[in-house]
Amino acid sequence: MDVPQRSSRNYWLCQLIGWGLYGATEAAAAVQILRLPLLRSVLEITVWAGGGLALSHVLRGVLRRRGWARLPLRALVPRILALSLLLALPMAVLTHYMAIAALWGPDQVDIDHLHIGPGMLGPARLLILVLNWTTCFVVWTVLYLSITSLRDRRSAALRQSELTRALQLSELRLLKSQLNPHFLFNSLNSVRALIADDPAAAQKAVTQLARTLRYTLTAGREELVPLARELEIVEDYLALESLRFGERLRIERNIAPEAMNVRVPVMLLQTVVENAIKHGIAELPAGGDLRIVATLRGGTLQLDVENTRPEKTGSVFRGEGVGLDNAAERLRLLFGARANLELDLSQAEIAIARIRIPETA
Amino acid sequence: MRAMIVDDEPLARRELRRLLAEFAWIDIVGEASNVREAAPLVEKLLPELLFLDIQMPGGSGFDLLARLDHLPRVIFTTAYDKHAVRAFEVNALDYLLKPIEPERLAAAVARAQAAAASSPISSPTNATILERLFLRDGDRCWFVPLREVMLFTAEGNYVRLSWGKAHPLLGRPLSSLEPRLDPRRFFRANRQEIINLEFIENVELGVNGQLHVQLRGGPEVQISRRQARLFRLLASV
Repeated sequence: MDVPQRSSRNYWLCQLIGWGLYGATEAAAAVQILRLPLLRSVLEITVWAGGGLALSHVLRGVLRRRGWARLPLRALVPRILALSLLLALPMAVLTHYMAIAALWGPDQVDIDHLHIGPGMLGPARLLILVLNWTTCFVVWTVLYLSITSLRDRRSAALRQSELTRALQLSELRLLKSQLNPHFLFNSLNSVRALIADDPAAAQKAVTQLARTLRYTLTAGREELVPLARELEIVEDYLALESLRFGERLRIERNIAPEAMNVRVPVMLLQTVVENAIKHGIAELPAGGDLRIVATLRGGTLQLDVENTRPEKTGSVFRGEGVGLDNAAERLRLLFGARANLELDLSQAEIAIARIRIPETA
Repeated sequence: MRAMIVDDEPLARRELRRLLAEFAWIDIVGEASNVREAAPLVEKLLPELLFLDIQMPGGSGFDLLARLDHLPRVIFTTAYDKHAVRAFEVNALDYLLKPIEPERLAAAVARAQAAAASSPISSPTNATILERLFLRDGDRCWFVPLREVMLFTAEGNYVRLSWGKAHPLLGRPLSSLEPRLDPRRFFRANRQEIINLEFIENVELGVNGQLHVQLRGGPEVQISRRQARLFRLLASV
């Protein structure tokens, strides 16, 4: 059972128990003190309690729709008093005119026994009933607000801790997925080959590899980095992959200057680019094209990574999305519905990963 | 020794060439960067030794071996491949981790040289008879010397090998395998099975002119009436 369903069930349970107890107490008092006939008082009080339940449900509707729970106390108290009074009026009228005394006359009640005057059963009683019901609804509201605020605070704390945990998990997965041993050892092998052929290129490659590794290993410290910073590491990574793939990897970039300062989740673009190479270009004997496009439109950063991919049947794609799934999950945890990542495989030989991130992050 | 390098990365091929320059007796006759290029080149150049990368675009090193009839000795080269390393553990193939250590390379080529001296790779003249097959079954893979196979059993379009304790599956029909097997060693017992004559323990005459052959440490195989006559002739039973 999910949470809204459970809380709705609990609400009705509380309502029935509360009003049931109230009704039962009243009925017991009517029989015990007023010496009224049992059946008659039970019937009468069931109608009261039912009315109270129905009107308090209306009260809950108002509280929820208007969001009164979030009002400051100074604004909340007069509103509750006024609404309770408003709801008390019909209840008072109902209980007054439906009462045995009113319908059947004071002689039905053992007045001597109660030591009260006949005036108590007249219009003065109406006033008392109004006050009585107003109090009743005020108490109801106080109880309702206390219970719900306690519950909300608990579930908010729970959600927060779940969110934190999910973020930590995704960071862990990020780190694990980024320390890609295949890339690492192949790059080292390229460097080894370059040392004899082209020492300058080998030196450059070592620097790039060191920067990539450092960025990866410290990625957990910062959640968000400027796109410009993330792009630096993507470029280092691509330079190393270009050493390995040679002419098979053709890269095109189109980055809008205003997009450079937008803060993006660390390693996100890197993950997507690596995915594009691993499952796209690396699988093609003739290689392919990689295109990175960044634009800023209406306060949203649009990052598109497009790559050539081998033509495959759907089932082969299982497992390929793991890195991307993780990236999409991180985006969701960090920005909620305002950001997203989707992989467009609608074209036969092209994969496009589209990332949307709000600028004001 | 004629050798070939198959690796998708040009720098990796160059590095290996340089490392192999130490060994004058290794003659690198060709290079390929993927399975499609490599398969016809291996069949054409008939190298005795193959340096083979595992992860390549368009098909793995294992895919290449499964396609080859001429099977050179193979030294795998891989940067990092959990599955491959597990496969090697199963059948003691030689493999080198990239970046390749010169000492490990020296040891691997020395082993290849020793193996070549004791049993030379089939020369082109008798290449029609298969001596070894590369087999993959799930995560595991083997180079199977066919002389060690006791029994071939047809399973649809595939062939199940009974080889020691292992029963790997070969991805080709029994009918295409039969002409490539040494006729002095292997015998078609019936429509489903080919037996290795060296594994026969005893033969009993059955009803209807059939023969029951008991294989050493293996099952009893029926030789069909039609084949039984041939078998008698062959074995002079």
